Amino acid sequence: MKHRIAAIILGTAALVAPVLAQPSPSPFPLPSPVEKELATRAANVTEVTLGKGMLDFAAKFMDKNDKDQAAVKQLIEGLDGIYVRDYEFDKEGQYSMDQLEQLRQAFGTPEWSPMVHEHESKSGESTDVMMKMVNGGPHGIFVLDAEPKELTIVLILGPIRMDQLSELKGLSGLGALGDIGKDKPGKDKASKDKPGEKANKGGDQ
Amino acid sequence: MNRHFWIPLACAALCIAVIVPWVALAASGEGGFDGVVDTIESRYHAHAMRIPLMGLASVVAGVATRGGVDGVHVAEFEHFSAPVDGDELNRMVEDKLGHGWERMIRETSRHGGEQTLIFSHPEGKRMGLFILDLNGNEMDVVQVSVDPDCLNETVLKYKHHDRDDEHTSD
Repeated sequence: MKHRIAAIILGTAALVAPVLAQPSPSPFPLPSPVEKELATRAANVTEVTLGKGMLDFAAKFMDKNDKDQAAVKQLIEGLDGIYVRDYEFDKEGQYSMDQLEQLRQAFGTPEWSPMVHEHESKSGESTDVMMKMVNGGPHGIFVLDAEPKELTIVLILGPIRMDQLSELKGLSGLGALGDIGKDKPGKDKASKDKPGEKANKGGDQ
Repeated sequence: MNRHFWIPLACAALCIAVIVPWVALAASGEGGFDGVVDTIESRYHAHAMRIPLMGLASVVAGVATRGGVDGVHVAEFEHFSAPVDGDELNRMVEDKLGHGWERMIRETSRHGGEQTLIFSHPEGKRMGLFILDLNGNEMDVVQVSVDPDCLNETVLKYKHHDRDDEHTSD
């Protein structure tokens, strides 16, 4: 009987092992269908996915004796991941308000608090900045920057020092972070969205 | 009786564990760097130029960087004129590289014929990097294994040499 149980366990393990060996799902929480749809319509797509392992690897190349590099090294060593998606479109109206809303809703959990929501109806540009707070400290930042012909999504996960965040602006697609470090969390919580300005941008399909 | 039951079942389980992944790999053709290059050759009817004595060059690179850079593979496609679908290329590379490789950077342009894919693969202390870059009519495919500590040591050594040279010339 004992042997039979052992044999069953061994057989099950042999069948299950290949399934368990599959790569773990990406921690990038954006809705996959939206991502795919945007990528299909975009003329140029840039995707940067840097997990913890890659960030640790990159940090090793930074010179701790160089002041600027030491600051970036210190910042990225603690991070869990940096994800950037940049979609450039040939013409306006290639993404809808509904898609933007789906992207925002991916961060609609209580741990994410909106910091900035800015919408300019004249230019059709909007910027959303959301912050993940854990034990009173920033543990993630999400930036959604929408222009009529370009959509940029930046997600940084892990403990973030806001004063060092602008150091990352040199990385591909992270230029939008240049000014964020100037805004302290909690200080700029006021929504800059003006009433009646939630006009469709990018053009609804 | 027990032994008669146990041995065949253990053998069957072992066969499943070993043979199934092997058959799956064989069915999908050769994997890794060569698998990617072969697939691109057959899919786009292009011919890859492989650098002669690359194995030797790889060994030299390993010695010169004290193990910082190793396992160098390079293939170059010149006069690459076939239209490329970014999604298809990405899927093809992902399939051929296989388990453990994660895409780090993807840059794809629908009109310009520009595609960049960078994959990484943690190998203990080292990191495997696979880079595919299509720019106009030229596609370069490179794979290297990097030890950041060793490579950084070498880079810093030359950085200090440069600084010393600058001071001397001043």
